[in-house]
Amino acid sequence: MNRWFKQLGLVLIVALTTAFSAVSFAQSAPAAETEGQIWSQLKAGATGETTSHGQFHNQPINTYDLRLLDVRSDWLAPGLMLALFGMIIIFVVFIKINGISKLHGGFSGKMVYRWSKFDVSIHWLGAIPCLLLILTGLVLLSGRYFFQPYIGEGMWASMVYGAKQVHDVMAIPFMIGWALMTVLWAKNQLPKLYDLKWMMVVGGYINFGPFKGKHPDAGFANAGEKLWFWAFAAFGLVISASGMLLLFPNLFEPSRTLSLIALILHSVSAIIITAFSIVHIFMATVMSEGGMECMVSGYCDETWATQHHNLWFDEIKENGTLKYKDQA
Amino acid sequence: MATMKFLCDTKRCIECNGCVTACKNENDSALEWGIQRRRVVTINDGVKGEASISVACMHCTDAPCEAVCPANCFYKTEDGLTLHNKDTCIGCGYCLYACPFGAPQFPKRGAFGSRGKMDKCTFCAGGPEEDHSDAERQKYGANRLAEGKLPMCAELCATKSLLAGDAEIVSSIFRERVAYRGSNSAIWG
Repeated sequence: MNRWFKQLGLVLIVALTTAFSAVSFAQSAPAAETEGQIWSQLKAGATGETTSHGQFHNQPINTYDLRLLDVRSDWLAPGLMLALFGMIIIFVVFIKINGISKLHGGFSGKMVYRWSKFDVSIHWLGAIPCLLLILTGLVLLSGRYFFQPYIGEGMWASMVYGAKQVHDVMAIPFMIGWALMTVLWAKNQLPKLYDLKWMMVVGGYINFGPFKGKHPDAGFANAGEKLWFWAFAAFGLVISASGMLLLFPNLFEPSRTLSLIALILHSVSAIIITAFSIVHIFMATVMSEGGMECMVSGYCDETWATQHHNLWFDEIKENGTLKYKDQA
Repeated sequence: MATMKFLCDTKRCIECNGCVTACKNENDSALEWGIQRRRVVTINDGVKGEASISVACMHCTDAPCEAVCPANCFYKTEDGLTLHNKDTCIGCGYCLYACPFGAPQFPKRGAFGSRGKMDKCTFCAGGPEEDHSDAERQKYGANRLAEGKLPMCAELCATKSLLAGDAEIVSSIFRERVAYRGSNSAIWG
């Protein structure tokens, strides 16, 4: 009887052990399959279930190239400072050495129709916001490195907050101005062969060496203005598109990585537009005598027209569209 | 000083959301409606390889939010925490884009991307205001660290899956667990 029990017990033990090992094999096999995979899945950006309604909360880890951050702090922030203040310094030094472009024979007093009132107004619709966007954008991108260390925390906080508010609001008129100027003015800005010659002598603005006294041909717009126009058109598009993503995240719902890329593209475009803007402002106000009048009244002096835009002046004289301002 | 870190042991997390509740309750004074500083995410829910993990600000040493902030409102504490100053925050949302963990959250989703002041986990260490002042409680919630206590989420974790504290102590506890489990499949992930 005893032996019989013993044998039964032995059979039971063997059976249970087999069953257990079978069960544990069944369990360990899938465990081996997922070994180390949770971490790699999370790093690859796996999303899951969560009760939270917070933005992007269903994804534990979002990975992107962290060098984006260094590009912003090490290159773009000083880059925008250089584009603004560096260009101003370069231009001041250039004008000190080179002098400005004077009108030969002075002002004629006869004002030639060049821009419509509408053209002048869309110019300023884009230009005034553009200046404010450059200054506030400078605070937002470079401020923490170049301004914050020198002012108090409270003053810095209101400065950067004000910059953000102005930047957000000014974006809208800027984009309208950019779109109108780009579309309406493009036909006068198409490159022509004589633009190459204009570039070869730097527009005749250099008052020494072999360039002195040159007056290259130019149509309604010269090659430099065309370059500015197309740079403004292209980078204006990039800065507007990336700006829209950052300004209306609820409308476009960009991913976090796309938003960061937009931030980089926005800064790169800003640097280029800022550098060009400084050149543009200097050319119109200081460098080219009589140039500013175009965007004040829409008329330019006849001497200015023949000196800087000879082909355009010849053309309007020939086809009869030449129109003088009524002398009061 | 210590370097404070969180660690969530995925082999222990049972998705009870106790940490979420503990956080919300402890920091209630600072949390606007809809803001959740900590959440539990379950990947592969209901299928092979299911794992839950409690996520909040990881208090990075080289924090991307700090690098990208235009207002430079982030600062490191002597405990190695990444905290921020809500008075300087301009609500631009860049930190949310830069943070790998989705930790920064905003109370508003208005036009012009206006978001209000950013809110995130403070490791229950308050903000730049005076410890336990009204201003600190209203803006940042609890300051348990100043009382010598650890964050409420980890303290109330039923399975001790979520660990908080000095990085060396947290990792030694976890190392001990892995050694005790004695299997390759018992390590994190």
